[in-house]
Amino acid sequence: MNDNSDIAKVGFAAEKWELRQPYGPKTFGLLFIAAVILAVSAHRSEVDKGIAETGRAVAYSVGLAEDSKVATGTKKFVDESFPLVISNKTAVSRIEDFDPDNLPLFSSIIEEPIKKFDAEKNEVVTAGHEEYLYQPVGYVTFVGELLLETLELAVWGTILSIGIAIPLAYFGAKGYSPNRFSYSVARAVCSFNRAIPELIAALIFAFTFGPGSVAGILALGIHTSGFLGKFFADDIENSAKGPQEALFSTGASKIRVLRLSVIPQILPQVLAYCQYILERNFRSATVLGIVGAGGIGVELKGRWDQFDYGHVSTILLAIFLTVLALETFTQRMRTRLIAE
Amino acid sequence: MIHFQNATKQYADGTMAVDDLTLSIPKGQFCVLLGASGAGKSTVLKMVNGLVTPTSGHVEFEGTRVEPSTLAAVRPRIGMVHQQFNLVLRSTILRNVLAGALPSIPLWRAMFAAFPLDLQRKACGLLQQVGLDERHLCRRASQLSGGQQQRVAIARAFILDPTLVLADEPVASLDPEISRDILELLKRASCDHDATVMCSLHQLDLAREFADRIVGFANGRMVFDGAPHKLDEATVRHIYGSRSEEPAAAAATATTSIPTPDAGDVSFAATEVA
Repeated sequence: MNDNSDIAKVGFAAEKWELRQPYGPKTFGLLFIAAVILAVSAHRSEVDKGIAETGRAVAYSVGLAEDSKVATGTKKFVDESFPLVISNKTAVSRIEDFDPDNLPLFSSIIEEPIKKFDAEKNEVVTAGHEEYLYQPVGYVTFVGELLLETLELAVWGTILSIGIAIPLAYFGAKGYSPNRFSYSVARAVCSFNRAIPELIAALIFAFTFGPGSVAGILALGIHTSGFLGKFFADDIENSAKGPQEALFSTGASKIRVLRLSVIPQILPQVLAYCQYILERNFRSATVLGIVGAGGIGVELKGRWDQFDYGHVSTILLAIFLTVLALETFTQRMRTRLIAE
Repeated sequence: MIHFQNATKQYADGTMAVDDLTLSIPKGQFCVLLGASGAGKSTVLKMVNGLVTPTSGHVEFEGTRVEPSTLAAVRPRIGMVHQQFNLVLRSTILRNVLAGALPSIPLWRAMFAAFPLDLQRKACGLLQQVGLDERHLCRRASQLSGGQQQRVAIARAFILDPTLVLADEPVASLDPEISRDILELLKRASCDHDATVMCSLHQLDLAREFADRIVGFANGRMVFDGAPHKLDEATVRHIYGSRSEEPAAAAATATTSIPTPDAGDVSFAATEVA
C-alpha cells in the first residue's frame, strides 16, 4: 500500500469480489413451497373454517349477516357469566354439626320457601320453608382458598423443577459435563421431561400416588425441569469464556468456576426463566385438578359441567387477577435480585 | 524457574503457534515476550499454566513438569492477567479479586461465596495496592473503566501470592498513558511479592522501558533473546517482519520518550537466535 499501483490493484480485485445478496430466486422458491404446505395444512387444521366463522361473527355483529353460530354462542356464554357469583348459600340441613349460635364471620341464616311443582294444579306451589346459611363473600373466599392451594402447588412444582434442572444443566453443558455420555444422557432427560404433557404426567402420578397435590407437584416439576434444564445448560454454554478461563487458570475446579464465574453471568436469564416457569406452573395448576391432581381445577371443571357459568367467570377472573399479582410480585423480586 | 524444552504447539488447523521453543527464565525476572499479533506469545504463556498443552516438548515450572496431573498443584502458584481483563462483570470488585483464591478455600465456602475474613482483608489490601479504595469494593466490575478493571485483574492475580505472573497483552486495549501505569503497577507488585513476570506485549517502547529481558517472536519462532538495549532495529524488523509499521505506530502513540533500560542485573547473555 505504498504506492498508487498497489491501491489500484486492490481496487481492481475488490470489483471482482463475489457479493452474496440476502434474497434470490431460491428464497422465493422456498417461500412458495412453504406457502403451499401451509395452505394444505390450514385446510386440514380447519384454519379456513375458523377464519370463515370469525368473519361471519363479525359480519353478524355489525348487521351484515343473518346468523352466526359463534356470535350466538359467545352471547349466551357472556349473558350467563354475569353477574359473577360472590356469595354462597348452603342449606343448613346439608351442613354437618351445624351450630346456629356460632356462625362463620359475616354470615347469616336466611329462610327461603321450598317451591315444588304441583302436577294436579299444574303450577308451582310453596311447600314450607328451608333455612340457608348465607355467606355474602362465601364463594369468593372459597375460590381464594383454592387459589392459594393452587399457588402452593405451583411454587412446589417450580422448586422441584429447579432442583431437577440444576444437575441436568451441569451435566448437559459442554465444557462442564464430565464426558459425552453424561452430556447426551442429561440432554435426553431434558427432552424426555419436556415431551411428557403435564396433564398426562398428572394422570400417571394421580394413579400411582393417589389423587391430590403430590401428583400435581410431581407432574409440574418433572415437565418444567425439561425446559429449565435445557435453558440453564444453554446459558452455561453461551456464557463469556474469558472470566471462566481466568478462574480455571488459578487451578479452580469446574464446579467452583461455574459458581463464581458462570452463575453471576447468567443469573438475570436464570431468574427470568424461573419467573416464567412459576407463572406457567400456576396457569397449568389451575387445570390439573381436572385429572385429580389438586388445585382449583376440580371446582372449575365441576362448575363448567353444571353450566354454572357465573361461578366459572368468578374463578376465571380470580385466576387472572392472581396471575397479574404473581407477575408483578415476581418481576419486582427479580429486579431487586438482579440489582443486588 | 520456568523452562521450555523444545516446546511446540501446532493447532488442529495446522497453524504452528510455537515452534520448538527452548527457553529458561530465572526467578524474579520481568521477561517481556515481544512480537506481532499471532506470533505465538499468548500460546507460550498459556503453555506455562496448562491452558494450552504442547504438541511436543514440555514446560517445567519450579522443577515440576506442567501436565494434566500436576495442574492442580502448579496453577495456584501462577497468577494470570489477561488482555480483556476477564473479570466477571456482574460481580463486585471484591468478589472478582477473591475469585482468584477459589482453589484455596473449601468447596462449601466456594458454593456459598463465603470467603474467609482474612482473605477478604487480603483482597482489600491488594485493591489498595493497585490504587483502588473502599468505594470501589461493592461496585460491579462493569462500572469500572478499562484501566481500573485491569487493576482489579492484577489484584486478583496476586491474591494467592504467586511466584509467577503471566500477563497476556495486559495493556493491549488501554491507552498509552494508562498502559504505562498498569505496567508500572505490575512491575511494582511483582517486586513486592517477589514474583517472576512473563508479559507479552506488542508495543516496542513499553517492552524496552519495563523489561529486564526481551524474548522476540516471529511466526511462532523465538528470534531474539536478550536485554532490551541489545534489541536493534534490524532485530525489530525481523520480529515484526513485513508488519514493521507496528512498532513505529506504537512508538508514535507513546507519551514519553523511550528511556534507556537498566540491564545491570540481567544475568544472561544476549543472544540473537535467528
